[in-house]
Amino acid sequence: MMRTLRLLNGAHDLGQGRVFWSGLALLAVAFLAYPVVASSFTATNVAYYLLNIPMALGLSLLWGYGGVLSFGQVAFYGIAGYSYGIVAGNLQEFAWGTVAAAITALLAAGLSAAAFGYFVFYARVAAWIVPILTLVLALLLATFLGLTAGYQWRVGDVQLGGYNGMTGIPALQIGGVTFQDYAFFYLVVLVVAACYIALRVWVNAHRGQVLMAIREDVLRTELLGYDVRLEQLRAFVIASVLAGVSGVLYVQWGNYITPSAIGLQQAALPVIWVAVGGRDSLLAVAIATFLLNQLTYVLSSSGNQSALVIVGGLLVAVMMFAPEGIIVGVGRARWLRALKVRRWSAHPGHGE
Amino acid sequence: MLPELTSILYQFGTNAAFLLLSALGLIVILGMMNIINLAHGEFMMLGAYAASFVVHRGMPFPLAVIMAFFATALFGIVLERLVIRRFYGRELGALVTTWGISLILAQGALLLFGPYMPPIPIPGGAVSVGVFSFSVYWLILIGISVVLVAGLALVYRATRFGLQARATMQNPIIARSLGIRTGQIYMLTFGLGAGLAGLSGALLAPTTSIAPYMGQQFVAPAFITVVVGGGANVIAGAVGSSAFLSLIETPVSLTLGTFYGTMALLVMALMVIRVLPAGISSLGARLRPIVAR
Repeated sequence: MMRTLRLLNGAHDLGQGRVFWSGLALLAVAFLAYPVVASSFTATNVAYYLLNIPMALGLSLLWGYGGVLSFGQVAFYGIAGYSYGIVAGNLQEFAWGTVAAAITALLAAGLSAAAFGYFVFYARVAAWIVPILTLVLALLLATFLGLTAGYQWRVGDVQLGGYNGMTGIPALQIGGVTFQDYAFFYLVVLVVAACYIALRVWVNAHRGQVLMAIREDVLRTELLGYDVRLEQLRAFVIASVLAGVSGVLYVQWGNYITPSAIGLQQAALPVIWVAVGGRDSLLAVAIATFLLNQLTYVLSSSGNQSALVIVGGLLVAVMMFAPEGIIVGVGRARWLRALKVRRWSAHPGHGE
Repeated sequence: MLPELTSILYQFGTNAAFLLLSALGLIVILGMMNIINLAHGEFMMLGAYAASFVVHRGMPFPLAVIMAFFATALFGIVLERLVIRRFYGRELGALVTTWGISLILAQGALLLFGPYMPPIPIPGGAVSVGVFSFSVYWLILIGISVVLVAGLALVYRATRFGLQARATMQNPIIARSLGIRTGQIYMLTFGLGAGLAGLSGALLAPTTSIAPYMGQQFVAPAFITVVVGGGANVIAGAVGSSAFLSLIETPVSLTLGTFYGTMALLVMALMVIRVLPAGISSLGARLRPIVAR
């Protein structure tokens, strides 16, 4: 227990110590108390800004900590969303049908990522090939789902629905609780918090260290006896299951999913959230995902078509002028100064 | 027998020409600069837009295609100076940045020019052999792809720019110390790649609808061609990969439909990189020591 807590407080994310964790706990309490003041409509909107965080955290693990970039995380988001819809739609008369659906959806995302990742990572391809192939995967999946219009494209009772997508997806139900409105909001907050804590422990634990070692130097890590291909594949599968978590939450939110949720423009968004926040900090990525989702949602729901131009421009500007990410840039500037003083006194002559 | 054979050859030819035209600009930039331009599809869209714009103001189509080359090349050069040159040696950074540019270009075109541009009528009629009829324009496109590859080979083998570009590709530091302005070479190469994308976009414009997001349809075929071809040898990679992939795609598309043809491309790409991670163009370098032995 103490060990886990120490890992949670580890150095590989922004923010350590009592003050930071008290602040974060306060934030969590604020989120949990939010439904008291908010209508069920606004609470559901806030849940929407939050529900993409697991996918973004997964990409942060893969890209920021592992040095492997994927442009196709939405593919696994879509696979999980559609799988949930198919299974939940077919098991509607069973009490635990939606739980079985959620488990199946995450399994589907993980297994398809493992199969696809096997070919990519065990081939030891150049770094630019992984994002290209994952992007093509997402694109082809979206094209395929667009072709599934008509009655012949159905699994059991559920129609895939072509470009109009799958509708009437039942909400998650555990025992007597159906996760809608406020309950859905709480579900999202808890899932997001759990994903953050688990990933933060993971990156500070041994496997996370190995992943960062691979990012720094593939050959050296391999010579230390680690199977680079397996470690990269593992990170890819974890990231894809997290994308699946977001996908399952997304279909709860609107009770529908369309192929455009997997399309080229959607595929760009996780990369933008992660790059703008700062890819090697889970906390920064979570904050950026929340804020940017709010921005695009507000812009596009007011009928403004320039949302994509704005986030695209933001991405280019960040990559040019603040490649480490905006939130990480701000965070490190303040944290690091205090940290460096401590390091200097601990190991004199060993500074950077 | 002859008509069937011609028809099969025509199918292979059009598929290979389509893959080659979609990928040529991309593979030139990758091979020379180790940069993947994710805005490639949008460069093709710009070429098509430029061509459509001038064709409907009375310019003959062949001239419009050449104009599209220069317009997109100029745009590419400006972009290289402003943005891309900051990302040499940071290939993932370049990938992400060019994706941002692609979003801006596509959505920007939608906001500026509306959901579609006036289409360009397909030039040339059809010729028939037996019961089959073939589009003259696609036959011309096959011819143009051959000419383009030959021209590119000529530029790289026989001009001063080509020599300096190959030197820069092999070892930029030595090239620079020998007085080659590598920055200029990169700028011109990016311009050439962008121009080729615009040229292909203009050439393919009559065969499709001209819209802000038209670039998306080229993304999957172009990138798979580049992944399978690899960047070790630009011309061998582009030709080898598009020929090989069209051999796979054509029978699948004919029997199952276009989508499954593209799907087969992805599956083939996964298979090929499993055996040849650096693509088909690395085959030559792999075989040489064996042959010499």
